Amino acid sequence: MKSDQPTSQVKTIVLLGLVYLLLAYLIDDKYYQLILTVVPIWAMMGIAWNVFSGYSGLVSFGHAAFFGIGAYTVALAMIYWNLSPWLGIPLGTLAGVVAGVLVGYPTFRLRGVYFSLAMLAYPLTLLYVFEWLGYQEVTIPMKREDGPLYMQFASQYAYIVVGILFLAIAIYLASRIHGSRFGLSLTAIKQNEAAAEAAGIDAARWKLKAIMVSAAIAAAAGGYYAVVLIVVTPPSVFGMLASAQAMIMALFGGVATLWGPVLGALILIPLSEILHAELGNHIHGIHGVIFGLAIIAMILYAPEGIFPRIRDAINKRRGLVTVADDSRRTVNVPPVDESQSRPAVSQEVALKVNHLSRSFGGLKAVSDVSFEVYTGEVLGIIGPNGAGKTTLFNLLNGFISANEGTVQFMGKELVGLKPNQVCRQGVGRTFQVVRPFPRLSVLQNVVVGAFVSQPDNDELAHVQAREALARVGMLEHEKVLAGSLNSLELRLMELARVLAGRPKLILMDETLAGLGAEEVETMLAVIRRLANEGQTIVIIEHTMQAMVRLADRFVVLDHGQVLAVGKPLEVTKDPAVIEAYLGKKWMEHAKH
Amino acid sequence: MISLVLIESILQAAIAGLLIGSVYGLMCVGLGLIFGLMRVINFAQGEFLMLGMYVTFFFCTTLGLSGSLGPVVGSLVSGVVMFGLGMLIHKTLLVKSTGIRVVGTEGEGHYPQLILTLGISLVVANGALILFGNVPRTVRTPFSSTAWELAIGNDFMLFFNKARVLALLVSILVAIAVYLFVQRTRLGKSLRAAADNAAAATYMGIDVERAHRISFGLGAAVTAVAGGLIASYYPFQPYIGLDFVVIMYAGVVLGGLGSMIGAFWGGLTIGLIQQMSTLFLPLQLQNAMIFVVFLLIILFRPQGLFGKNVERV
Amino acid sequence: MLSIEHLSASYGGLKALSDVSVRVGEGQFVAIVGPNGAGKTTLFKTISGTVTPASGKIMWMGQDLASIPAARRPHLGIAHVPEGRQVFKELTVFENLEMGAQTEKGLADWDKNLDQMYSLFPILSSRKNQFAGTLSGGEQQMVAIARGMMSSPKLIMLDEPSMGLAPKITDMIFERIEEIHTHSNVAILLVEQRVAEALSSCDHGYVLQTGRIALEGAPDVLMEDPHVKEIYLGM
Repeated sequence: MKSDQPTSQVKTIVLLGLVYLLLAYLIDDKYYQLILTVVPIWAMMGIAWNVFSGYSGLVSFGHAAFFGIGAYTVALAMIYWNLSPWLGIPLGTLAGVVAGVLVGYPTFRLRGVYFSLAMLAYPLTLLYVFEWLGYQEVTIPMKREDGPLYMQFASQYAYIVVGILFLAIAIYLASRIHGSRFGLSLTAIKQNEAAAEAAGIDAARWKLKAIMVSAAIAAAAGGYYAVVLIVVTPPSVFGMLASAQAMIMALFGGVATLWGPVLGALILIPLSEILHAELGNHIHGIHGVIFGLAIIAMILYAPEGIFPRIRDAINKRRGLVTVADDSRRTVNVPPVDESQSRPAVSQEVALKVNHLSRSFGGLKAVSDVSFEVYTGEVLGIIGPNGAGKTTLFNLLNGFISANEGTVQFMGKELVGLKPNQVCRQGVGRTFQVVRPFPRLSVLQNVVVGAFVSQPDNDELAHVQAREALARVGMLEHEKVLAGSLNSLELRLMELARVLAGRPKLILMDETLAGLGAEEVETMLAVIRRLANEGQTIVIIEHTMQAMVRLADRFVVLDHGQVLAVGKPLEVTKDPAVIEAYLGKKWMEHAKH
Repeated sequence: MISLVLIESILQAAIAGLLIGSVYGLMCVGLGLIFGLMRVINFAQGEFLMLGMYVTFFFCTTLGLSGSLGPVVGSLVSGVVMFGLGMLIHKTLLVKSTGIRVVGTEGEGHYPQLILTLGISLVVANGALILFGNVPRTVRTPFSSTAWELAIGNDFMLFFNKARVLALLVSILVAIAVYLFVQRTRLGKSLRAAADNAAAATYMGIDVERAHRISFGLGAAVTAVAGGLIASYYPFQPYIGLDFVVIMYAGVVLGGLGSMIGAFWGGLTIGLIQQMSTLFLPLQLQNAMIFVVFLLIILFRPQGLFGKNVERV
Repeated sequence: MLSIEHLSASYGGLKALSDVSVRVGEGQFVAIVGPNGAGKTTLFKTISGTVTPASGKIMWMGQDLASIPAARRPHLGIAHVPEGRQVFKELTVFENLEMGAQTEKGLADWDKNLDQMYSLFPILSSRKNQFAGTLSGGEQQMVAIARGMMSSPKLIMLDEPSMGLAPKITDMIFERIEEIHTHSNVAILLVEQRVAEALSSCDHGYVLQTGRIALEGAPDVLMEDPHVKEIYLGM
């Protein structure tokens, strides 16, 4: 993982840029120089695609829309207003941003396949519209005097330099995103949008930001493309191939990496261009075949792209930890002082659930549920399978809306709030299935949870993340790549992520499921320690042996209704509860 | 007073819409099969259409068939060929990508297949360009440029292009045949069961992978037949798939993803919209119109007219 | 007939079963009970073949099932009625039953089986052209069980048939299961959370807890055992 420090990033960019320029200088052939000019353009497109789709996971098949808008803005501005591309490209970039917002707003409501299909339609629509408008072939006029003022240079080499400059800016922008709050939030959304929302991330806002940056870079690339190629036609800038190339650069080189798209462009563009030159006159279409084969090969054999593979190999040589590492680790939970008794549970009501109901079709999943949670207590929600426990949590979190009832948390009404808003009120939630960011470190996985309580200060967010890790005993593993953690460590990391947001109440969803006996003990120790520190916890669990040791009170649900509320000893003796678990016939049998 | 000329134009456009729309409907059924039975968004569907056209073309020209039924037989033959090719593609490529979670994309298995079919589309379209060149071809038959005339009173004369009428008949027949297959036969029902709930289907002893392979081949075949029919009245070249791909998706989405009947009606409707729009829109905008309709459907009524499964926020 | 020996399996990265041994004889009704998360569904999945065990053997009629793919196992006589019913929602009730009868014996016995299922679950006959997805939970459960029986199996596995159903309907379902047991020679392997319903009709019972067999024995013995209560309620 390259260092996140901005200065070292800048240094790398400058260094590599200079190397490229040096090599380009040594090449005399005009055709090859043209190729070297086009490489940065497609690298930029790859970066643009990556910034949005690579991080967020929303596959866009329509980046050509922004590319084309940038290209036409520059060309038409020159023709109608005599506006130099030095100003035209920024203008095109702005147009791209506007387009990004216009596209994003309605399209983000769509999921998966529908999103991709919609994105496909935008550039193709523009293609036909521009043809109709009469812009089948737009040529940028030559400026014999003041050429450089209009980005027209005598030497091809100058174009390469300008191209590299633009690319350097794009890489720098992308680097600010990668590994930062921006990139991490997007990655969280991609991995598990529900969990991200529950952690306080406003998915809609981040997606919009991402598409704006992405569209800006794509439009800038398109604008420069117009300058370099001089002729702009609808199929060349709005066509499928343009969208496909943007995607291929990123996929081939390495999705969600910084240098992946650059690497992809460096390899694929010269390859296809040279093949096209050597064979193109005899074999039209070799371009497309190469790209097509590249996509197929990549999806089947290296779905993550080339760059991650190379990086893994390098890291292995250096002896650094890779995702495949499974060295034995121990989790050191700070010990609980058993002699100290739990602070007495207060009488202050933290959460008040009133007559909450929710039906699905005809089935009442949660029916007239009411109970209270006191500050500092551990409340266990138990009941047979299918009793509605997870539905209850989803209601409290805001993932589903209640048909009836209210939920008050510290005086604020939660019903009707979106999940990220619920989180902002101070309610955290763990999930049964933990989907970490496998190629990022434990700390980076956890810091996402801190963003909600530190909206501006990245440094403080990291401090809070570390504190949370210490509380669960995982601090010494903060640099480990999350993909190599075992189930206990994943659960603890998940818990740390929630704790990083300094929640006032934590909803724990089956935190012990599937853990072995020893691991259960470790987990229980962590939870008990949190409880001793005064954390209010509501926990769903099936492992009764563990629950009776952990919870102060139980709420028993069956068929969506509250069956009993009270201390574990009372509740487990309650005949109604026994009947719910063991069946009516058990009670009848017991009577004989 | 609406001029009689206008009414005649409208009727003629409606007729053209129905004739063309029926073939669109068939092509959409092909895509609908693949999506409905396999939940795969296939980018290469346009290329299956294109291959259907070329197979029909070569079939007719090598055998010297110049009669009007030539393209019909040719398109059925191309259907058979594409059935085999579709199954081959599924077995060698698609199966390998199922279940791969591409790290960079939403891990549902959809995306790897989407991207894979995009790659296949590029290879096939450009491969065809290399093999066949970009000279436009058609399958000319005596029917291609003759029409039946229908006079209504003294005022209207409506023309029914013979090739297109034949295409309509064949399309409807093939669509009905496919429908009956999927709805009534045991194999067809097992394909539907495998699509409905793959786990339960396995518990019934149904080989789900085989079911998907057959569904894919069938979808490719049906669209190829439509291609062969189009070839009898429309010139084509290797990139023609792109022109039709969005039409296919628009039709399938309009009809409702997951419904075969819906796909046919969706395609028919798109054909009607396209032809009716010739009355007031210039040529280039007709295609843009389809995309706009497509976008509107996706944004405001993604489940279409008959659809069931919608991935909504 | 079915012999599971020292089976260990993981599911979803978690160790679900450890050293589990279960036997089902011809025509026998065996019940496996245990609280949620005990590994019951994973056990069925290993028998059906959708989960590969880490160690241990599953022997069916003397044959090791390890080499037999999941789609082949129903043809050997094992029917699986999955958790949550999993009917084919977009097929009719009748078509669901047709899908159940894909085995050789199922096809041969089609008419006989259909009559039997119609008399056991009359509602299947009256709703035979209705889409299975529109039925109530209890009705879907009947479809699922009948679908399993249509393959003329030697063993039918029922995974938590009571889940999500109201108590009255659960009682009715269990009555029907008992009827199947009395009127046919099909062996039944039932997995349930609700202890008493399961144990009351079975021939032999196992109690599963966090992936291990905690108790085993005749149903009336198990019903008396205070350990069972402890496993479920923690004290």
